[in-house]
Amino acid sequence: MTAAIELHAVSKRYWQLHEQAMLLKSLIPFARPTKTELWALREMTTSIASGETVGILGRNGAGKTTLLRLLAGVTRPTDGHLVVRGRIAPLISVGVGFHQEMSGRENIYVSGMLLGLSRQQVRERIDEIVTFAELVDFVDTPVKFYSTGMFMRLGFAVAAHVDPDVMLVDEVLAVGDIAFQLKCIERLHELQQRGTTIVLVSHSVHAIRLLCPRALLVRAGRLEFDGDTDLAISRHLELLSVDAAPSPDADASTDERHVGAVSIVKRELLGPNGPTRHPRQDDDVIYRITLRFERAVESPHLSFSILTEEGISAYGMATRIGRDWQTFHAGDVVVADIAFRIRLSGGTYRLAVVVMDRDGRELLCADHDGPLMYIDRRPGSSGIAELEASIVIGDHRLTEQAGRMMVAPQGRLTAEEGPPE
Amino acid sequence: MLDSVARLDVDGVVDMVEPSSASFPLTGHHRVLRLDEHPDGRRAWFAGLWAHREVLDVLARKDFQTRYKRATFGLAWAVAVPTLQAAVMAVVFSRVIALGTDRHFAVYVMSGVVAYSYFSVVTLSTTTAIVDGAGLTDKVWFPRVLLIIVPCLSNLVGFAVTLVVLVAVMPFFGLGLGLHVLFILPATALLVAFCLGLGMVLGALDVYFRDVKFLVQAALLVCIYLTPILYPQHVVGPIGPWLDLNPLTGIVVLFHMATIGSGGPWVRPVTVSVLITAALLVVGAEVQRRHDRLFVDQL
Repeated sequence: MTAAIELHAVSKRYWQLHEQAMLLKSLIPFARPTKTELWALREMTTSIASGETVGILGRNGAGKTTLLRLLAGVTRPTDGHLVVRGRIAPLISVGVGFHQEMSGRENIYVSGMLLGLSRQQVRERIDEIVTFAELVDFVDTPVKFYSTGMFMRLGFAVAAHVDPDVMLVDEVLAVGDIAFQLKCIERLHELQQRGTTIVLVSHSVHAIRLLCPRALLVRAGRLEFDGDTDLAISRHLELLSVDAAPSPDADASTDERHVGAVSIVKRELLGPNGPTRHPRQDDDVIYRITLRFERAVESPHLSFSILTEEGISAYGMATRIGRDWQTFHAGDVVVADIAFRIRLSGGTYRLAVVVMDRDGRELLCADHDGPLMYIDRRPGSSGIAELEASIVIGDHRLTEQAGRMMVAPQGRLTAEEGPPE
Repeated sequence: MLDSVARLDVDGVVDMVEPSSASFPLTGHHRVLRLDEHPDGRRAWFAGLWAHREVLDVLARKDFQTRYKRATFGLAWAVAVPTLQAAVMAVVFSRVIALGTDRHFAVYVMSGVVAYSYFSVVTLSTTTAIVDGAGLTDKVWFPRVLLIIVPCLSNLVGFAVTLVVLVAVMPFFGLGLGLHVLFILPATALLVAFCLGLGMVLGALDVYFRDVKFLVQAALLVCIYLTPILYPQHVVGPIGPWLDLNPLTGIVVLFHMATIGSGGPWVRPVTVSVLITAALLVVGAEVQRRHDRLFVDQL
């Protein structure tokens, strides 16, 4: 198998300007804006075989987007070199080159050709694309009259029918409804079967686990880990906890949100050993939020939920409605501790909090993008709840015991104390 | 596929021999992308341009269609605006201010204004083309210079129709239609080449310096007076010959030759124009090639 993608000590530097550069000003000596260098990637070496599907993990700003841009040929490295063999198509942002005034059909031509098809190839595939997008009756309508869903379906349909040799997928699984996501995953599976090399970038650990046997973990521009997806995910989650503790992710836990009469001024997820993003199964954790009352509120009612990536509630708990317990005054600050035990199947979960008035009629605060929480998957398990199931046939115990199970690189199951370093 | 890859593993994007791609019966040619810290080689860059000719075509059509889709009369609008502008300028400068003496002066003004309005519209578009195209170009690669070529082509349609209108009204001003009208072809070719060369340079500068587009807007306002469009070159006396250093002068002189067929010195301005255009094309293409895959870092 030849490598479809090879990276040889690839580095990429960006210059960060401290002010907008002006032509007239730059002609004056000593008036040039100062700039600092930023290394988005540092000496990254790896290779991806033809037909392989590889996930890329890493926090925001770790260098994932730069890596994809390099693979797409949009930018070139500052040092080192890379080779990509075959036709490359990005499934990055849906609807590349779409124009509101033009019809669906016209947009399919522009977008398809930008993604690398010839006019003839678009002509051959257009019926298939339109059918796939379920837009047969609307293909000659300007896309400005499309709903968001129609627009995305059309964009995805075009990208999915380019049939590249190397497909770069960025966060597409984060958009759209569940049906759309399933269609997307199904199509990616189909491309896998046909031997397409796929590079998948996603915040969704779930999607990467579903599609990629191998994953690269990027941290501060360097390749931190390259290998088995489960190990990569464990390492990623571990790093998220470590890195998240002092300075949190984009989904910050300290930024203030003024939603209404009640603001959340601080959010923290505390595990047995302090702040965490990666609690273990059976850990007792506390979601600690600091509330500030912007006006007087009498005996507020608080509800808490744990949401899956798809936005489905995995668990919820609420205080009793209509019970008198305390009156708060404007400016009061109070800490709420929501304690619970992790009994969830592996995946990414979001913590959400809603504060309402005493009778549950008026919304005082809705915090739907609280911190993310990552939980390791027990090998073989799926779903939301961790019910510690086991399967025994005859004398054979065919499932691993509940607890901290890891998958070794060769796919062999081994029990370990914790994730490997 | 393995063999052909190894054989053609050279700089840039290279078309490969069609492999027996059973899995992708519809896939055209396969390519090898090899990137390092150097820009694409000249041959590879031009090969990339050629490979994207269909993309250029579809982008130019899109630009043309979307520009006039909103307008009530579509293409008629593209013709009406410069024609009206030229007509107004012609009336003002030939009747009201009366800089020219003969009755052909209205056509003299119109032909210059038509050429200048193409130059002005195209230059404004090419200057911001790469920055404006950021949404298109940070995901998919195609030679960025396509974004510069697009306005040069899409504005050509309206320009051509306007020229036809201009030629059609010439007899009403007592001008015969002779073979000299064919000077329109080299005149247009030079105009487009000049706009392209200048656009490649300005479009690149605009990515790095955010004041370029304002400087261009200001320059376009001034430049029409530094070109013998609204007045005959001889009326400005001793300054007249200096106008020959303006590359637009040569272009406009060619359009005058095509319409009013006037003599006057043309060798010097046209030579200056051709030389500057050639220089801009070489410098512009080189700037575009060297920065092709770096523009995105600034956007």
